[in-house]
Amino acid sequence: MARYAMVFDIRRCIGCHSCTVACRTKNELPMDMIYNPVTTVGPTGVYPNLSMVHLPLICMHCDNPPCVDACPTGASQRRDDGIVFVEDKKCVGCLACVMACPYGARVKNHESGAVQKCDFCKDRVDEGKLPYCVLTCHQKARVFGDLDDETSEVYKLVNGERTVRLLAELGTEPYAFYIYG
Amino acid sequence: MSQKHEGWGWMLAVDFFFAGMGGAMLVIAGIVDLFVGEGRTSALASFLGAAFMALGSGLLIFELGRPFQSWRVFMNPRAILTVGAWVMSLAICAGLVYTTFSFAVFPWSDWVLVRKLVAVVIVVSGLIVATYPGVLLGRLKGRPLWVGPGMTSLFLTSSLVTAFAAHILCGMIVAPATIGDVLARFPAITAVLLAVQLLLWVSYMWVKISGATEAEAVAARRLLCGEYSSAFKYGLMLVGTVLPLLLVLVSSPLYQAAGAILVLVGGFILRMLVIYAGGADRTWLPGEVKYRSRLPHGDEAFMKAWNEKEFWTTNK
Ligand code: SF4
Ligand code: SF4
Repeated sequence: MARYAMVFDIRRCIGCHSCTVACRTKNELPMDMIYNPVTTVGPTGVYPNLSMVHLPLICMHCDNPPCVDACPTGASQRRDDGIVFVEDKKCVGCLACVMACPYGARVKNHESGAVQKCDFCKDRVDEGKLPYCVLTCHQKARVFGDLDDETSEVYKLVNGERTVRLLAELGTEPYAFYIYG
Repeated sequence: MSQKHEGWGWMLAVDFFFAGMGGAMLVIAGIVDLFVGEGRTSALASFLGAAFMALGSGLLIFELGRPFQSWRVFMNPRAILTVGAWVMSLAICAGLVYTTFSFAVFPWSDWVLVRKLVAVVIVVSGLIVATYPGVLLGRLKGRPLWVGPGMTSLFLTSSLVTAFAAHILCGMIVAPATIGDVLARFPAITAVLLAVQLLLWVSYMWVKISGATEAEAVAARRLLCGEYSSAFKYGLMLVGTVLPLLLVLVSSPLYQAAGAILVLVGGFILRMLVIYAGGADRTWLPGEVKYRSRLPHGDEAFMKAWNEKEFWTTNK
């Protein structure tokens, strides 16, 4: 069984927001919903030694996802391959998962009343394709793949580069990894 | 656009208030019955305990994005909300059944053993209902004001103190069937619980500010000297805690009733404060606050133009 993960090389991200737009288009999101924002930190430092980084965010597809535990209806689920998703018809919009997610990865759709989130484009992944944001990223700052496959690029990056996980101290075991330098 | 403050609102605060008070009212009625004797608390209080919980869960349904699907919240036994929903349903039913024992018209009103068993059920289920909102909030790792075990004790204490106040008021409206000896002690117990509540809040703020993460300190400071400080200091601490503590100690029913009403006001303020001040705040990721602050609000010219897109796409 695969174990999907995404690696973000933030040395490569130029903050163009192409991934954000691609995701919104692919998922036909209403204007007030964003699955994968790209934040900007900086500029920091004193001229001429200034630095600025862009941080792409998504659902971290946690191995120990508090959102799934919090969901009273069972709408929030984690597949065996690690993809965390919401089964729309079961969601009652109680927001327990929104409050439980430490990464702000979930958004309520005010038209349907249900909560939605990034699902790694599981329909595409099931067809052997890449998530749309990964396909769109012209800087190749996003790498997606199977962390259980030793030949995959994510395996090599996670085990070879210095990667960090956001809010790792919370014990959610996120499967989004960041290479920062 | 609601990207920043998507979260629970006042209906959940009202639900937590009624559910906590209702559950604890049944706990008190059940304990008094089991250890002191029957008919020592007002029958109105037992009925209202169940009714308040029903009212609270009714409001919770309206808070849902899809209220007509609310039955689904019973489906995941691993989720605290599901456990809460099951136990609250049990407590409401048991509370209503327990109330019937106060009326001779019901043929089972003198079945002592059954009444005692139902009393055990209302004590256990009521205690869970009074406690679980604190457990629910305390487990939310990314919410700095709530995270940790402290919320559990704050909610339990507040539920108990509001329940004692409600028992005092109910006893004034419908007196207990047997002598009012137990009820006469409730103002003193309420005062002790209010003092405990005061102490718990001081400790909670102190722990959050001194020993925890920077995000927790910021969240606590928001209550002490930020946007919620007036509601916290004057609403919860002064009007909802210190003032009623003094009033219930005066041996006059009028003062005690006023004190009990202020306790209820304080319990409600506490729920509103906790839900709003804690829900608005996450442990933000780098750059996130700036990013979200720049999102459109929905009333910008380009947003209005976008919302009219149907007009200009169909008429061009
Ligand atoms: S990032 Fe949030 S929504 Fe995604 S799996 Fe983790 S807790 Fe759940
Ligand atoms: S909002 Fe939907 S997905 Fe989230 S916890 Fe409630 S029912 Fe589950």
